[in-house]
Amino acid sequence: MEATQATPIKYDMEVVRWFTIAAAIYAVVGTLIGVWIASELAWPFMNLDIPYLTFGRLRPLHTNAVIFAFGGCVLMATGFYMVQRTGATKLWSNGLAWFTFWGWNLIIVLAVITLPLGITQGKEYAELAWPIDIMIAVVWLSFGLNHIMTVAIRKTSHIYVSNWFTMGMIVMITYLHVVNSLAIPVSLTTSYSIYSGVQDAMIQWWWGHNAVGFFLTGGFLGIMYYFVPKQSGRPVFSYRLSVLHFWALTFGYVWLGAHHLQYTALPDWTGSLGAAVSLAMIIPSWGGAMNGMMTLSGAWDKLRTDYILRFLVVSLAFYAMSTFEGPVMSIKTVNALSHYTDWTIGHVHSGALGWVAMVSFGAIYHMVKKLWNTEMYSDNLVNVHFWLATIGTVVYIVAMWVSGIMQGLMWRDYDEYGTLTHTFVESVSEMHPYYVMRAIGGIIFNLGTWIALYNIVMTVRQASAVRGVNAVPAKA
Amino acid sequence: MSDHDKIYSTKFQDKIERNTLLMFVMTAIAVAIGGIVEIVPLFYLPNTAMSGGDGTYNSTAHKDSKGNSISMDKIVWNPATSEHKTLEDWQPGDGVRPYKPLELAGRAIYIREGCYLCHSQMIRPFRDEKDRYGHYSIAEESMYDHTFQWGSKRTGPDLARVGGKYSDEWHRRHLRYPRDVVPESVMPNFFWLEKMPLDVAETVQTMKVMTIMPFNPVPKSIYTDAYINGAKAQLEGKTDLDALIAFLQGLGNHIKFEEGVNYRD
Amino acid sequence: MSEKHDVSGVPTTGHLWDDDLADFTNQPPKWWMLGLTASALFVVVYWIYYPSVPFASSFFKGVGGWSAIKEMEADKGEVDAARGKFEAKLKDMTPAAILADSELTEYIKRSGKVLFGDNCAACHGQNGAGTKGKDGLFAPILNDDDWLYGGKIDNIYETIAGGRQGMMVAHKDTLKEQQIDDVAKFVKALSEEGKDKADADPAVAAGKKVFMESDCTACHGTDEHGIQAMGSANLTDKIWRFDGSLEGIKHTITYGVNSGDPQARIAQMPDFKKAAKLSDAEIKKLAVYVYKFGGGQVDSTPEVAVAAPTPATPEKAAK
Ligand code: HEC
Ligand code: HEC
Ligand code: HEC
Ligand code: HEM
Ligand code: HEM
Ligand SMILES: [Ca+2]
Ligand SMILES: [Ca+2]
Ligand SMILES: [Cu+2]
Repeated sequence: MEATQATPIKYDMEVVRWFTIAAAIYAVVGTLIGVWIASELAWPFMNLDIPYLTFGRLRPLHTNAVIFAFGGCVLMATGFYMVQRTGATKLWSNGLAWFTFWGWNLIIVLAVITLPLGITQGKEYAELAWPIDIMIAVVWLSFGLNHIMTVAIRKTSHIYVSNWFTMGMIVMITYLHVVNSLAIPVSLTTSYSIYSGVQDAMIQWWWGHNAVGFFLTGGFLGIMYYFVPKQSGRPVFSYRLSVLHFWALTFGYVWLGAHHLQYTALPDWTGSLGAAVSLAMIIPSWGGAMNGMMTLSGAWDKLRTDYILRFLVVSLAFYAMSTFEGPVMSIKTVNALSHYTDWTIGHVHSGALGWVAMVSFGAIYHMVKKLWNTEMYSDNLVNVHFWLATIGTVVYIVAMWVSGIMQGLMWRDYDEYGTLTHTFVESVSEMHPYYVMRAIGGIIFNLGTWIALYNIVMTVRQASAVRGVNAVPAKA
Repeated sequence: MSDHDKIYSTKFQDKIERNTLLMFVMTAIAVAIGGIVEIVPLFYLPNTAMSGGDGTYNSTAHKDSKGNSISMDKIVWNPATSEHKTLEDWQPGDGVRPYKPLELAGRAIYIREGCYLCHSQMIRPFRDEKDRYGHYSIAEESMYDHTFQWGSKRTGPDLARVGGKYSDEWHRRHLRYPRDVVPESVMPNFFWLEKMPLDVAETVQTMKVMTIMPFNPVPKSIYTDAYINGAKAQLEGKTDLDALIAFLQGLGNHIKFEEGVNYRD
Repeated sequence: MSEKHDVSGVPTTGHLWDDDLADFTNQPPKWWMLGLTASALFVVVYWIYYPSVPFASSFFKGVGGWSAIKEMEADKGEVDAARGKFEAKLKDMTPAAILADSELTEYIKRSGKVLFGDNCAACHGQNGAGTKGKDGLFAPILNDDDWLYGGKIDNIYETIAGGRQGMMVAHKDTLKEQQIDDVAKFVKALSEEGKDKADADPAVAAGKKVFMESDCTACHGTDEHGIQAMGSANLTDKIWRFDGSLEGIKHTITYGVNSGDPQARIAQMPDFKKAAKLSDAEIKKLAVYVYKFGGGQVDSTPEVAVAAPTPATPEKAAK
């Protein structure tokens, strides 16, 4: 059974196509809202005095749109794609996959309606109201069950490494979502967490960090382990590294949440516990980044012509960078400065734009070609998108590094008389140029996503014009 | 399926890779440990402000500079031991108390408008934060905050001790049009809050819910049935803006902190 | 199968997925394996050094003796080295005595900036220049020499420590509309023409009569200069707290100030002692700082507010 498939397998790819297109659309929407809220901080009139568009209501819409709409659709598209191909089997249940697709998109629509209305639970990245939380649990389980069952019915002897990561994500996100969302309803739209104060803080950031660690990192590492070898045509550099990387991350990441709460009213032990493991996390993370990079070694020449590969390489570079930055920010003295500042925002986006979005687009382009059995409508536009995404990301995070460190230093600056030097509002007005710069970076990045969407739509139209496409994806 | 392959990791790892259920179980165990170690102790260790629900606290202990335990009576308000018996009689310095109805309504607005995305409510024990915002925050101060509001970003200043710092009228002006009073501000205008009548029924329901929380509920001796019924009268005719201001004015002045006392351990 | 990818001579594991997915059996680099071991050791060392491990009824405090509070105390020590001698001296001095000490005054000029900027500027504007809204100033300008409650150092200290809330009753029930109209014209004339001319101006005589015969003099005095003990405004100068147009003046008279009427002008200076956010030393520093904006009055000066606005604060003139 280790042998190459003699006859092509019929996969259930229609649902993957839909998830892929949805992801491309949500990339445009999510980053557009990002640009909008970035502009609100640069030019407050952009709030337009419309309650539904004020910063406090749009920001959760941005985070939910990019993480759960864009990120979620990418994860589900690739998850269903990889699990079938690496298991040489159709989905366990195609019908259930469609349920997942429509359910997930319904949740997104509800998010788009409720968040601007101010319907929120007030927990970062877990804002959605309790009835939606229940729907999330159901739809997520439908995805998880389908994925795991498809792994179970695979035709290969071993489970491919990508599926380890996806399964890890499925298990952990289920834990997190259920525990963090427990609340008592007051009405159909409002509810209050059953936890309060210190316990709530720890549970929220246990959730918050691991949404990052398992959703935005673990899940996307699964993507990396499939698409980097595929796109470069090279085997994964080191099997042992994959094993160590997987278990170190799976076991270790869970402890990190407490680094969001250093110096807060939690007992001192909690923050230190999280900080220690965070620092140690550089090595496993870099192991993963290296495994990807070394997989490419020997295929470097392809970078000149293969623009999709560029996305994957740069995403690994940003992954390495943000997983270096994160541990540094966990050091007590650094966190004392960086916490509450734009530095955190810069770190978030070096991970989110540089790593998550880049690796996603690498995977999306690869899949589009395979799913519609065609070449891209324009390879040049892929290249243009690549540069817009890279430049936009760099502009964004450089702006935030400068503003973040400046904020941190201004807030704590003492003069020779031992008195504070800057008022708070001084720090607010000093941020203005960087907020403008960030908005510009965001516009550049967002422009790239429009181009991607256009390119993908044209590719699909072109392919459909040639022939009806429900056919078998091409062999790699 | 061929089993003859050479194993490049360990036998057990190889087994995991071949067995879906085993991989599922092993992963579930691996990801459970860290969370349990970090979260569970916060429900029983001292100084994490867990209430027994009847106004008593599980072994919270603060020490003064000589190492003597200081009384909890003035840290968390307990009508049984305090000279002030009702929420209306409560005075700043009596200790942390649950929210009054209007404040509770205001807190819902605070969450709804996403203020926590720009404002923290957690003063860290640093010299500059003390100089700028006041005494560092302690666990008890957010024990009644179902969904804590510590925040993670200071686009605006910390609000943990903003209560009493400005007048109601200032807040009214500032919240309506922040740049009227602080030209440099990037805070959104919230003038429409003034036109929104408070949801009285929901606030009353929220009070009831607060008393049935499994962790840190508001004691029924404070939110008595009579008090909850009487809340309506206090809320009638108020706007969202009134409530939000009441909430802000109640922040941070519950405990009278003394120099030299370590309130963290 | 494994040979297919065997470019470097290293075999793959022999597993194959999706036609061409395989893993090389390369060992992770040595440095990485060392790093992994080192980081595991590091975690243990860190946990031993810092408080980190929860137990059944307490937690391990760490051999390093670190705690967040201790770290803060140490950091405070550093700034205390710089400001300690001033603060110690300041502690038992009256605001007036501090003002007399030039070194301390210099210190306060520096340390007052953020105290004022973070606590007071929201109402009084940066450097006490006032914040203007539709209804006039939100709070008095502090960098001029016009004072509602007196510009002596002790007056200022009292204002900050205890808060202020001037009260002027509403006149909508005690005066007829015509009377309010008249008295407003008189008050406007007082400011525009100066006291002497207005007193003699027949056009506003009716208003003057109302002023003298109703309760106005009880608070603003028969000389219309106001009474600092109650914070009532001097009506003879060109400085307007609230809207100084005729309509605005009528509004003030009709509804009063802090009178409880829903349309009353609101003027409330918070009680910073009660708010318990500022220490007594900080309040003293602020008093000196505000005094040093330039409008502070020495003890011997008679308590008469200056009639003309200082050129430095042209914003204060009526709109
Ligand atoms: C876009 C970010 C943003 C949002 C959202 C926001 N604020 Fe602010 N806030 C600021 C900034 C910046 C300042 C500092 C400048 C100023 O005083 O306006 C501030 C200042 C304040 C202050 C004065 C604090 C002090 O000590 O001077 C209060 C009170 C306040 N905000 C309350 C709120 C409330 C309540 C909400 C929600 C209804 C809110 N803010 C939403 C940015 C924001
Ligand atoms: C919430 C707004 C607000 C804040 C904050 C505030 N003030 Fe005031 N302040 C006022 C108002 C309003 C008055 C006028 C009171 C009246 O008219 O009765 C006033 C009056 C004063 C006066 C008296 C002026 C005079 O003409 O006699 C001084 C001095 C003063 N404030 C200093 C300060 C200082 C120092 C701070 C900061 C610690 C401060 N204020 C903070 C609103 C404020
Ligand atoms: C109970 C005391 C009291 C009485 C009676 C009173 N006032 Fe006043 N008035 C005040 C106080 C106090 C202020 C200043 C409020 C502030 O600035 O905080 C004031 C302010 C004013 C102002 C606004 C000055 C400015 O700078 O904007 C006018 C005009 C005025 N009074 C006119 C009158 C007239 C006319 C009468 C009689 C019909 C009158 N007042 C009666 C206490 C009084
Ligand atoms: C055009 C691109 C983008 C722009 C302009 C943008 C802009 C912003 C802005 C202005 C904020 C609020 C920062 C603050 O409160 O100070 C924010 C927050 C956030 N964004 Fe983005 N964003 C973009 C893309 C993305 C993407 C693609 C992701 C994830 C995949 C992402 C994830 C997040 C997260 C997680 C936060 C919350 C950060 C925190 O709370 O610390 N963003 N973004
Ligand atoms: C080993 C890897 C990492 C470590 C140790 C780490 C550590 C940190 C630290 C210390 C903070 C700041 C907490 C605070 O002061 O509030 C933070 C914030 C954050 N990080 Fe990371 N990080 C890592 C990787 C990543 C990656 C790859 C991403 C994105 C894909 C990411 C997304 C975020 C987000 C969204 C936040 C903001 C949370 C919030 O405050 O809302 N991190 N991280
Ligand atoms: Ca939720
Ligand atoms: Ca955040
Ligand atoms: Cu984290």
